[in-house]
Amino acid sequence: MRNFTLPAEELMGSGHLGCQGCGGALAMRYVLKAAGDNTIVVLPACCWTIIAGPFPYSSLKVPLLHTAFETAAVAASGVRAALDIQGDTETTVLAWAGDGGTFDIGLQSLSGAAERNENIIYICYDNEAYMNTGIQRSGATPFLAWTTTTPEKTPKSEPKKDIMAIMVAHRIPYAATATISYPDDLIRKVQRAKSIYGTKFLHVLAPCPPGWRAPSELAIKLSRLAVHTRVFPLYEVENGERYTLNEPKEEPALPVSEYLKLQGRFSHLTENDVEAIQEIIEKRWQRLLRMVRESS
Amino acid sequence: MRKPIVFTSEREMPPMAVSLADMSHNRTGGWRYMRPIYSEKIAPCKNACPVGNDIPRILSLVSEGRYEEAWRLFRQTSPLPGVCGRVCYHPCETRCNRKDFDEALSIASLERFVADACFDLEDKISDRPKRSEKIAIVGSGPAGLTCAYFLAKDGYAVTVFEAASQPGGMLRLGIPSYRLPREVLDREIELIARWGVEFRTNTKIGQDIDIEKLWEQYDALFVATGAHHSRALSIPGEEFALTGLEFLKAVNAGQTVNIGKRTLIIGGGNTAMDCARTALRLGAQPLVVYRRTRAEMPAIAEEIEEAEHEGVQFEFLAAPTAICRRDGKLEVHCVRMQLGEPDRSGRRRPVPIPGSDFRILTDSVLKAVGEEPDLSFLSEHLETSEGIVMERAQGLLERAGIFIGGDAQTGPSTVAQAMRSGRETAYAIMRFLRGERKPKAPQLDEALRVNFSYFVHKPRVPTPQLPVSERTSSFAETKRALSVDQARTEASRCFSCGVCNTCDNCWVFCPDAAIVRTNGSYSVNYDFCKGCGVCAEECPRSVISLVEEEL
Repeated sequence: MRNFTLPAEELMGSGHLGCQGCGGALAMRYVLKAAGDNTIVVLPACCWTIIAGPFPYSSLKVPLLHTAFETAAVAASGVRAALDIQGDTETTVLAWAGDGGTFDIGLQSLSGAAERNENIIYICYDNEAYMNTGIQRSGATPFLAWTTTTPEKTPKSEPKKDIMAIMVAHRIPYAATATISYPDDLIRKVQRAKSIYGTKFLHVLAPCPPGWRAPSELAIKLSRLAVHTRVFPLYEVENGERYTLNEPKEEPALPVSEYLKLQGRFSHLTENDVEAIQEIIEKRWQRLLRMVRESS
Repeated sequence: MRKPIVFTSEREMPPMAVSLADMSHNRTGGWRYMRPIYSEKIAPCKNACPVGNDIPRILSLVSEGRYEEAWRLFRQTSPLPGVCGRVCYHPCETRCNRKDFDEALSIASLERFVADACFDLEDKISDRPKRSEKIAIVGSGPAGLTCAYFLAKDGYAVTVFEAASQPGGMLRLGIPSYRLPREVLDREIELIARWGVEFRTNTKIGQDIDIEKLWEQYDALFVATGAHHSRALSIPGEEFALTGLEFLKAVNAGQTVNIGKRTLIIGGGNTAMDCARTALRLGAQPLVVYRRTRAEMPAIAEEIEEAEHEGVQFEFLAAPTAICRRDGKLEVHCVRMQLGEPDRSGRRRPVPIPGSDFRILTDSVLKAVGEEPDLSFLSEHLETSEGIVMERAQGLLERAGIFIGGDAQTGPSTVAQAMRSGRETAYAIMRFLRGERKPKAPQLDEALRVNFSYFVHKPRVPTPQLPVSERTSSFAETKRALSVDQARTEASRCFSCGVCNTCDNCWVFCPDAAIVRTNGSYSVNYDFCKGCGVCAEECPRSVISLVEEEL
């Protein structure tokens, strides 16, 4: 039996406005458990702007700063600088942005912060579209997926942007992928990030049942299948060089159709489409294995 | 729960946008249309166990090295774990959910391990109500013993009448000691006697004691005389054949039986297999003649495999037509059979092939074509059909205080089925004496959905076996016990289907932090649970159900 041991403290309270089976809410719950109560969360426009609750409420038991869509990394840098001036080096500054605020709109300020090696943890919870505004495609939306702006007849024709490669190219001290079906792995990575000085980047896959057109109870299963089909392998990169693969360990991988068939956003795919997706996955997987091999 | 904050004027508002309270005023439970509930299910193994042993809980205790507690849990449902761990056909393993993941748990070996590890333990004789009613049990096989145990535990004075010189019934007379060592049986009977059960051996009903008399002297009567009457072959020369049961009884009683070098066994059931394997151990070469094929043999598959393994030979699709004496030996005339249309039992009926006669020369013939109950001592009261008690007649008898169970009621069946009958009858007798009606048993759902994602493949620990070369020369037990390490490793493979073992998954995966964890148990905070269903989906052992919310 695989058992999880999680810190007991709950820093995300109930009553939040996440949808049923919200992967983003669960990701926040784990991340705060790992980050601890001495944390300040910096939040640009994203689902969590809504989930946390309207003024004058917040479902987080740590300070939360709302900021503009493109400014998560730079606002977090500012908070960090203010704390440093006061001599507080203990408090963790955590930028928490969605895929829109990371892959697209916030990329410039994120790149700037990474280039300056600001001492922050930046977490992108990736639900693969602009979900709370009505499921519009983002740079994180997978190849051939349905969204309201890439309807079934013309699904998204570009593959998902490789945000990890972009961040690794900044040679930041720590970058990692994680997801909600591996809570112990996610928590370990946040704790690891906390122990390192400089810019730390976590790319967290957070299934969105309404946006992915899937039943809410499958949120964890989808996250698990994303790993097992190598759609979303879990790995870490130190100093832009040293790659470590965490999951999946099992060989051979499940075919990607196992993951796609549970989601309505892929229900229009033909066999050829699935094959094309499988090819992209295989290519990225082989590249990852090469990086792991070269760095060992 | 906090109340929502209401600003009645601009002056009450903070100078900048800061949060003043958490979101706990927002009862998201109102969004829910499916409600998760913790409802433990019955594990398929436990459901399949005729005795109803609480297998998941027992195996969980074994995996933690808590053998005494495991043994006491066995004894809540069964007084014979040492016997069952050896001779039961373990339908539990056939239903084990783990078989769809890698291999079923070795439940029988673990039951035997627990019984062996706790061989010296005794039941704690608890304070029981003192009851004045006396109950007579006729027959001390698995049904009679089990019934006696449960009645005595409840304070009744129980007397067991046994025709043989020692109690045990078929367990002692029919089952060879290489399957069930006698010290195991003796010990478990001794523990039943400790509850105050009186055994009167060498007392045969209808011969040494009269059924009418028992009826007068006792408040209730349980007839569990088994099925000891061997069916006839109805062929010329039948008198030259010994019945398989007579043979087994004699050998098991330590008498010398001369069956010569070559013995022919007629039949394909468990008695036939026991006869063949016993004959082998007496130095004879057994040949089993069966009129259908191996696939239709009624014997337990494992017994057939062991017989083959030890070198028993088989002649399938052959039926004897006559037995003659020839030159101090016996000549069995046979006819070749083929399978025709299915009969009432669903098995294809064997049909003789004309002109296919052949003969087999042998030193002895054992006939084992089935046994049936002999209830002639009850003939005045009982209607039977082919030796089986009619249900209507049984109902009438029960109202008068006479209960029939075990093989005497059903014809030859298994030890576990007889034990089930014994326990059910014990409760039926209690209800009869107290004038109670049978309560409606709650129907538990079976735990059939296992989330395999949380388990790691691990092969089944094989049961150690005595090498074949050492088997044919003695009656030593063929199966050996698991070691402590093997038992704990094997028990830890159990999925605990339907039984919460506080793995934390529901608490871990709740996106709404709506699972409350308090010392080893969980509850759902329905004020906030949105009914997403993740907890039910990720529970590895189907303890959580989703039910529709009443609107």
